[in-house]
Amino acid sequence: MIGVVRSELGRLSRRSVIIGWFGLTAALAMIINVVMFQVIKSSSVPPANGPGVSFPSEARLLSEHGIVAGLGSASSILGVVALSFWAIATSTDYSTGLIRVLASAQPVRWRLILGKWLALGVFTAAATTVALVANLVAAPLAAQSAGYSPSAWGNDLIPLLLGAWINLFGALLIWGTIGLALATLTRSSGVAIGVGVGYVLLGESLITSVASSTRDWLPGTTMSAIASGGTAAVSYGAALSLGVTYLVLTLAAATIVVVRRDITD
Amino acid sequence: MVVTTIGLTRRFGSLTAVDDLTLDLPTGGVVGLVGPNGSGKSTLIRMLLGLIKPTSGEAEILGRSIATPQAYAASVGALVEGPAFVPSLSARANLISLARLRGLPASRVDEVVSIVGLAGRDREPVKRFSLGMKQRLGIAAALLPDPELLLLDEPTNGLDPAGILEIRHLLQSLARSGRTVVVSSHLLSEIESICTFLVIIRFGVLMLMYAGPMADLLALAPTPVHVRPEFDSDHGRLRQALTDAGWSVVTPDAGTEATVTLTIAAPGEQAAQINRDSLAAGVTLAELTVSRDSLESIFLEMTGNDDGELAGARAASASAAATAAAVRS
Repeated sequence: MIGVVRSELGRLSRRSVIIGWFGLTAALAMIINVVMFQVIKSSSVPPANGPGVSFPSEARLLSEHGIVAGLGSASSILGVVALSFWAIATSTDYSTGLIRVLASAQPVRWRLILGKWLALGVFTAAATTVALVANLVAAPLAAQSAGYSPSAWGNDLIPLLLGAWINLFGALLIWGTIGLALATLTRSSGVAIGVGVGYVLLGESLITSVASSTRDWLPGTTMSAIASGGTAAVSYGAALSLGVTYLVLTLAAATIVVVRRDITD
Repeated sequence: MVVTTIGLTRRFGSLTAVDDLTLDLPTGGVVGLVGPNGSGKSTLIRMLLGLIKPTSGEAEILGRSIATPQAYAASVGALVEGPAFVPSLSARANLISLARLRGLPASRVDEVVSIVGLAGRDREPVKRFSLGMKQRLGIAAALLPDPELLLLDEPTNGLDPAGILEIRHLLQSLARSGRTVVVSSHLLSEIESICTFLVIIRFGVLMLMYAGPMADLLALAPTPVHVRPEFDSDHGRLRQALTDAGWSVVTPDAGTEATVTLTIAAPGEQAAQINRDSLAAGVTLAELTVSRDSLESIFLEMTGNDDGELAGARAASASAAATAAAVRS
């Protein structure tokens, strides 16, 4: 298993992945802070949540949690980025034909998929760290430029950062696993990314507008709740349980497909 | 035996790609698996590697069932349907990644890069490689586990003549080092020049036509002897002398329009006796040659000339020649 993970890490360590994934994550983590403070500055009442983005209240933003509020707000968008790169990393094995080489070298295929999941998990941990650092750099600057000087920021900083990191990592890991499963099923990063982005930007909003009772357990709401450490609608514990269920189901589906599928092309 | 199959069958819906194949491939040397595109060669190799499961039948590689490919994966290297790598990574990074997958040290990468002649180029991205270099890299990846058995599916596909020659020498040297190299190809000339054992597959479905040593197959081919007298005027005298000596001259008697070269239906090893009989009749030969049918003509004879792809290729070639002749005239 260690060999599979090391092999995957080697293939993932390419410039396009590192610059693309981490660069996009850092940029989005910075942008969301600027947007949050500009929105709050113009109106103390938070606007309705946008596609893939949720806005905190002014009180929360200026509380000790405000310094990491951007991560929770952008978690769905950061999740889509993670989903996309997981999908690309998975579908590349099929598009290049590499899956033939990998499966003939390691015929115990569940090890291949689990090794890929662990390696992508390592990269997701790195992306989470990048997002956290970018957020820490951007948040004070964004607050200052909007005319705020949150005095509560800095209280209990280490546990707060650790909690924010764990929550965001958990959310991104589940988003990524969904991307891995979609790419395994479709063998296409384009389809997987299209489904993922479409769902976050449009799908979940449409579903909840038709059936509001689904709001508490759909993936977008669940992962946002995990990343934010719980919301008014969904408690952290409930979100975590649902998130783990999503992760197990999607990873199991991907594993079954990889193990049972013929590799014919 | 390095590979044994018993009644191996694989169907894709209504299409039967491999039909009830029973086969033994000997250990050592280069084994050729020849048949046209779409004849089931790749399907067979995929089944042997555990990439797809047979519909029915059994097979063993190195004495282990293909139902448990993990039992022999460390002893088998393969190149299936062309080389596959991450294009933006260097050749070396790709090979290191595959070495790690097999739990091999990075030093093994240096060895295989050297074997396939890519030393000095291995730090370049694979996307900059020519097709020939990618093929060599694919073979390098197959060599990583230092395999007892190499399964190479069309390893010379898309290569220029120089590249084909390089790969041919490489495969022969790998076989000399004690490995068994199984090469599938739709190019009969490819197989003929490097293989010691041959498996011929019929068009349409993988059905065994021949499995045995290459030398035995070539021995089945007729080996007519061709003679040409020193002087054209001796033609009639030579024909008569050889006929009187009991030889069967198959070149039609064209009467006064003598054919310069006569073809005698006789085993090639009788060429010396034919020479002696000619001399005894007072005719000096300017040429005496023994011809052997190519593997391609033997193949076409065995398959009743019904091989679609080969027949098509021959027809296209004849058509091109006719067109060229018409243009010249």
